[in-house]
Amino acid sequence: MGTTFSIYLYSSDRESASVQFDAAFDEIERVEEALSNYRPTSELSRINRLASKQRVTTDPEVFRVLQSSIEYSRRTGGAFDITVGPLMRAWGFFRANGRYPTAVELSQARAKIGWSNVELDNTGRTITFRAPGMELDLGGIGKGYAVDQVITVLRQAAVTSALIDAGSSTLYALGAPPGKSGWKVIVPKPGQRSQAVSSVFLRDASLSTSGSYEKFFRLNGRTYCHIMDPRTGQPVQGMLQTTVIAPTATDSDALSTAMFVMGPAAGRRFLPSVPNTSAVWVEGTLEHPRIEQWRWPTVLCRQNDDCTPDRKDEEKP
Amino acid sequence: MNRRDFLGGAAATFAATAFAQGSGAAKSKVPASSQVNLAIIGPGSRGQQLMRTFLRVPGVRFIGLCDIYEPRWAQARKIIGENTPAVRDYRELLSQKDIDAVIVSTPLSLHAQHVGAALDSAHHVYGEKSMALTVEQCDQMFGAVKKSGRHYQIGLQYHYAPWFREAVRMISSGKIGKVTQIYAYWHRNNSWRRPVPNNDPKLERLINWRLYREYSGGLVAELGSHHINFANEVFGAIPVSVIASGGVDFWKDGREMPDNVQVTYRYPGGQTLFFSAITTNRLDGCEVRVLGTGGSIVLTEADGTYYYEPSTATSAVPEALAVEHGIVTGASYRAELPYRGQGQPVAVPKGTAGNPDFLACSSFIDAIRNERRPLADEQIGWRTGVTVAMGNYAIEHGERVKFADHVREPAPSST
Repeated sequence: MGTTFSIYLYSSDRESASVQFDAAFDEIERVEEALSNYRPTSELSRINRLASKQRVTTDPEVFRVLQSSIEYSRRTGGAFDITVGPLMRAWGFFRANGRYPTAVELSQARAKIGWSNVELDNTGRTITFRAPGMELDLGGIGKGYAVDQVITVLRQAAVTSALIDAGSSTLYALGAPPGKSGWKVIVPKPGQRSQAVSSVFLRDASLSTSGSYEKFFRLNGRTYCHIMDPRTGQPVQGMLQTTVIAPTATDSDALSTAMFVMGPAAGRRFLPSVPNTSAVWVEGTLEHPRIEQWRWPTVLCRQNDDCTPDRKDEEKP
Repeated sequence: MNRRDFLGGAAATFAATAFAQGSGAAKSKVPASSQVNLAIIGPGSRGQQLMRTFLRVPGVRFIGLCDIYEPRWAQARKIIGENTPAVRDYRELLSQKDIDAVIVSTPLSLHAQHVGAALDSAHHVYGEKSMALTVEQCDQMFGAVKKSGRHYQIGLQYHYAPWFREAVRMISSGKIGKVTQIYAYWHRNNSWRRPVPNNDPKLERLINWRLYREYSGGLVAELGSHHINFANEVFGAIPVSVIASGGVDFWKDGREMPDNVQVTYRYPGGQTLFFSAITTNRLDGCEVRVLGTGGSIVLTEADGTYYYEPSTATSAVPEALAVEHGIVTGASYRAELPYRGQGQPVAVPKGTAGNPDFLACSSFIDAIRNERRPLADEQIGWRTGVTVAMGNYAIEHGERVKFADHVREPAPSST
């Protein structure tokens, strides 16, 4: 959350579109006020303030989002983890001031994370942290959830063609533009936005990308990115970008992070458990990227190809 | 759909009768550890947000729903996570056993009817703002609360916002000197219209009731209530007079309520509240600017900021001294640009942070469990309600309106 949402939609007239936009942005605001950890008044912030000290009751919607998040943690063996905030802080990424933490700092941060330390009790919809200093950060799934909620609102408002873009990292294509088979979405090459890894025509599906090349720091010749491997306490190494297509934005958002951490080998073993998903990984370095994929629907642009996006708009047969 | 349908399938006899019937046997308080059973009349967009918020309070359950627009039933049930019984007629809902309190979030013109009936059936009520559409209805509701002995909390959640409470404390302590003016506005740049399913004209007034005079107090009620309530609290009174303007000047889409309003209230101590709401520019957003002789406080939906006031002369040079020492006095020019620096955050006392909606809802449940009077009670509701109603009266009639000609404040409740 705390990101920029853009909405493109087709409507019968400007006035109707304006009303539909307003309804959509009202919904984003509502979800933000529930799930943002940037806002002290949000429900998530209330949970974070209290759950180390007491059981905190929340409403069914927020509880479902937390359940989904923890379920993703369980299924990915902890590659996806909404408790990773203290680790991000130790590595300086919350202040955009990345640095290598001391062993003590790292140890203290690791004592405050772990999805299995989040106790969710379904009977009273309560959340309890089993370790002091824990906090939840839905940055890896909240955007996607917000996008899904906007889609629900737009469908209720009789919108049949729209593209929702959350921070350019999570998109959902509702229907298709008039006369088209889908919304054309370009997956850019890491560090080269004018070049494409792939172009896809998306329809009633979501696409999310996680990248390491915008928030990182270098130390002693190594690059440390802002995406943590919660299992090791270290930034993920050697991965530049992952992109996932899934039926919902909640799924694609969470899966793009999980696939980034898991990598292509473990990712290919995991993805068959989530129907109708596909993924592409870009590993290596910006100069020498390697591309791997799982059931990717269109042509992938390899290193020596001409990768200007306009040449890649052919649809999958 | 005709008007009869809109009113919930009931003949609009309202509730002079309901108010007159008394409250029946008093209920015992709900034990602190027990589940509090809620029902809601009107789970529209605001009602649904209230439901989510109430469900964040431990031990709260919704056991009944009422809405004449049946698609709301499924939406509300999804929020609750249960197949909660739902009805179209509020009287049927109120006859349901085991309801402790009723949330009323229907169109403004129906508040008096629905709140009155809920109180009459011995339920506590959380009633959305504003209290009622007219002064007469506000009077009836105030009387009904007193007669029922039940709790009534008005849905003015910013009355519970920690930074608003702290601002009131700072103002009371003299931190910003004498407050002479409150400038408040809620400026948006949208049509204030909600999408109507399938653009069905039969649903227009149901979904967009805020735009129609029969049901709504418009921008003054729906947006200005919070600002007006704050000014009433700071000035310790309701206004003595109001002048106002407004009209349907931009969104000429068939609506009846103004798309812009400017309301100026005068208070007994010579203070002024100016409230503006527009729908064509959002530069200013939602703010309350409290202007005192010794400083200012600016409040938003999320925080508050204190600004000091540059000091002025505290003593004059005696004329004799000026003559004796040949001091020449005269006017000098000083640019009076607006202050553009940073202020100091209004610091919320430790342990009091929170979301205004949550604090308001949890406080209401606490009031039920522990027999405490709600902070935003019927007196707060009445004061805000009549101030809103008089503002709209002034807009409609285009004249300066004296409160004394229309409003008589009832004695506060003693319990």
